[in-house]
Amino acid sequence: MLNPSFWTLLRSPVPWIVLAVAVSAPLWMSPFYMSIAILTLFYVGFAMAWNIVGGISGLLSLGHSIFVGTGAILTSALFLNLGINMWLGVVIACVISALVGAVISWLDYRFRLGHLSFALITLAFAEVFLLVVLGTDFLGGASGLILPNDTGNFLQFEFGGGRGYFYLSLSLAVFALLVNLLIINSPLGYFLRCIRDNEDAAQAIGIDLLRCKMVSMAISGALSALVGAAYGRYMVFIDPYLFAGLNLTIEVVLVATIGGLGTPFGPLVATLLLIPFGEVIRGHLGGVLPGLHTFIYGALIVIVILAMPRGLVPTAQDWWQRRRRRGEAAQEKPELQRGLKPPTPMED
Amino acid sequence: MAREVTRRTVIAGMTALAGTTLAAPAVRAQSKIVKVGMINPVSGHAAAFAQEIVPMLEFMFEKINKAGGIKSLGGAQIQLVAADDASQAGRAANEARRLISQENVSIIVGTFLSDVIAAVAPVLDQAKVPAVSVSGGGARGSYFYTLGLTYDRGYAETSVNFLNELVNKHKLPLKKILMVYANYEGGQQVNKYLLSRLKEFDHYEVIGEVPLDMQAQDYTSAMVRIRSMAPDAIMGAVLTRGGTLLQQARYSLNFNDAIFIGNASGYSDPALWKNLGEEIAQATLTRNLFSLTTFSKDLKLKSLQDLLAEIQATGRFNHAIGQNTQNAAQAARVVQHVLEIAGSTDPQEVNAAFSKLSIKAGDPDFYYARPGGLEFGADHLPKDISAMFTRWLPDHSQQVVYPSDFAEGAPPAKT
Repeated sequence: MLNPSFWTLLRSPVPWIVLAVAVSAPLWMSPFYMSIAILTLFYVGFAMAWNIVGGISGLLSLGHSIFVGTGAILTSALFLNLGINMWLGVVIACVISALVGAVISWLDYRFRLGHLSFALITLAFAEVFLLVVLGTDFLGGASGLILPNDTGNFLQFEFGGGRGYFYLSLSLAVFALLVNLLIINSPLGYFLRCIRDNEDAAQAIGIDLLRCKMVSMAISGALSALVGAAYGRYMVFIDPYLFAGLNLTIEVVLVATIGGLGTPFGPLVATLLLIPFGEVIRGHLGGVLPGLHTFIYGALIVIVILAMPRGLVPTAQDWWQRRRRRGEAAQEKPELQRGLKPPTPMED
Repeated sequence: MAREVTRRTVIAGMTALAGTTLAAPAVRAQSKIVKVGMINPVSGHAAAFAQEIVPMLEFMFEKINKAGGIKSLGGAQIQLVAADDASQAGRAANEARRLISQENVSIIVGTFLSDVIAAVAPVLDQAKVPAVSVSGGGARGSYFYTLGLTYDRGYAETSVNFLNELVNKHKLPLKKILMVYANYEGGQQVNKYLLSRLKEFDHYEVIGEVPLDMQAQDYTSAMVRIRSMAPDAIMGAVLTRGGTLLQQARYSLNFNDAIFIGNASGYSDPALWKNLGEEIAQATLTRNLFSLTTFSKDLKLKSLQDLLAEIQATGRFNHAIGQNTQNAAQAARVVQHVLEIAGSTDPQEVNAAFSKLSIKAGDPDFYYARPGGLEFGADHLPKDISAMFTRWLPDHSQQVVYPSDFAEGAPPAKT
């Protein structure tokens, strides 16, 4: 059964206003800003998918490139080498990613890996995956794969240029956010947070660790593969180092951590701020001084981490609650003072 | 109250009028600008390319502007709008969108390695804006043109032709060929085409392939494997870092039984001398090693020597001048010539001008040792894309040994 706050959120006008503004974006955005918006929304999808494992379950996965890569590379390879329709390829990639995710979770459960060991094991899997991709001709090897140009044929997993990919990436981002909210507000979410906070205690009260971890990793893997396949189709060129390399995972972990782990809105807000910021400063400063944009971006991240160690959203929530409490206290004070005021002779 | 008109007011007014009239042509001339986008991997793993290419592009466009700009556009000055793709293909596509939609550039020039070309080509096709790649190994789409050596005609065909010359003309007993290449996109592609070209000749036997791990810190184990296969010749594309590790391993194992017929910077980059150190470089680079390149600073080509003298006089170039710098200079000239032919800043007209571009061999704006000059074919590649083979001399200079048109000496017998 879902937490009632989930329905309260959906009844609130705020998400619908945000969504309405987002939907109208292609009408007023230039192609450059549109491409930044598309990239950002794909990263929202990746961050949300990672958050299920890294944020809600507390498993620091550095191997999500396996799922993203499976989505982009396998789907494209099946289409280019065997002529398999990309929609079917996406389903195959999602199923394989879910299974691989479940196997990794099983390993975690079976060998009782700690957080650090889990991170290192997933990192090792990611490296092996990259080497397999680079050495396999069917998957394009180091040369990558090049999809045919998009002609807008929806049945062939084509979405027809910037506007189509904007709506695709927006749909995927909203879908990934909903999946996060559904998990967090469902019994699975409670179990996962319990496991994250104290695994032994969670097992002692009867939570099925293996099942919960496998389900969360499978959902996260399948979602990552789905977004990866869409991102690959948008890019046309399936660069093995981009999709199967570690950089994308690190970027996703970084934005999710800066936003605040465990909350769906942390990764969302951080991605919506950091990815466009990085793109815009590179666009405007990239040609001025080599590395200046990277320096500014890095310095800002360090400042945010130092000033808000829990992340942007939890810090903002704390600030808001403190402010509200102060406001309530300020309102209560005169009432209290009125209540304590000695009665006047007239009142007598 | 009416203001009194004095002599001083009249003189001031006349001076202002005369100044405005005289200044008008200058203002008009200043306003004539052609925006040229420039995308390079200024940061990230491919930044070494930008270090070579960006200073040369900037230098060349300054030179063109000083020489009167684009004459068919009334002396319009070229304004470079620089962008950094952070060595990521996806980022390059975004930067191309920015340059086209925000900056309204007429043409884009840049490093554009093959993966970047693949990612940017759909953007150019959609916006109908042409681009010139300095180092890409192939062209894609309807608006990309490349000056880089292509994997097949540029690297593979020239290498196999040189091998044939060593066997047939110089009578070197080369039969067993081992493919040794950097395991990245360019290395794999060149290897694929080399294998295909070698298959055309029954004389050669490909005895194996040794892809070199790009992340490895040492190639001794790879060299042990190479030595165990006892090849007559080793062929393949290796980048500068890989070339350094390979020759270090060769020196350590004292392996001199095969001839290296190498492609890419791993054999031809002058930085190899610095990376290897004098002793190892003298023992390896100058012995049984030939490198494919389009550039040799000792090449007897007047246009290139004039350019080298000019850039040396500026003292601005900290990086060693090599093939990428040469390509960058040529790319700037291509941009200048197509803008001259188009006589317009409209990207579609600039694109159409590529089919009319013709820079003859011997032209001061042509910097390659290619008898066919520079014209782009229907595949958007130069029609004459031949390269040279050089060998290193003990004084760090390169001697052209192939093709015979430009050769300064014959390849020495195996030592």
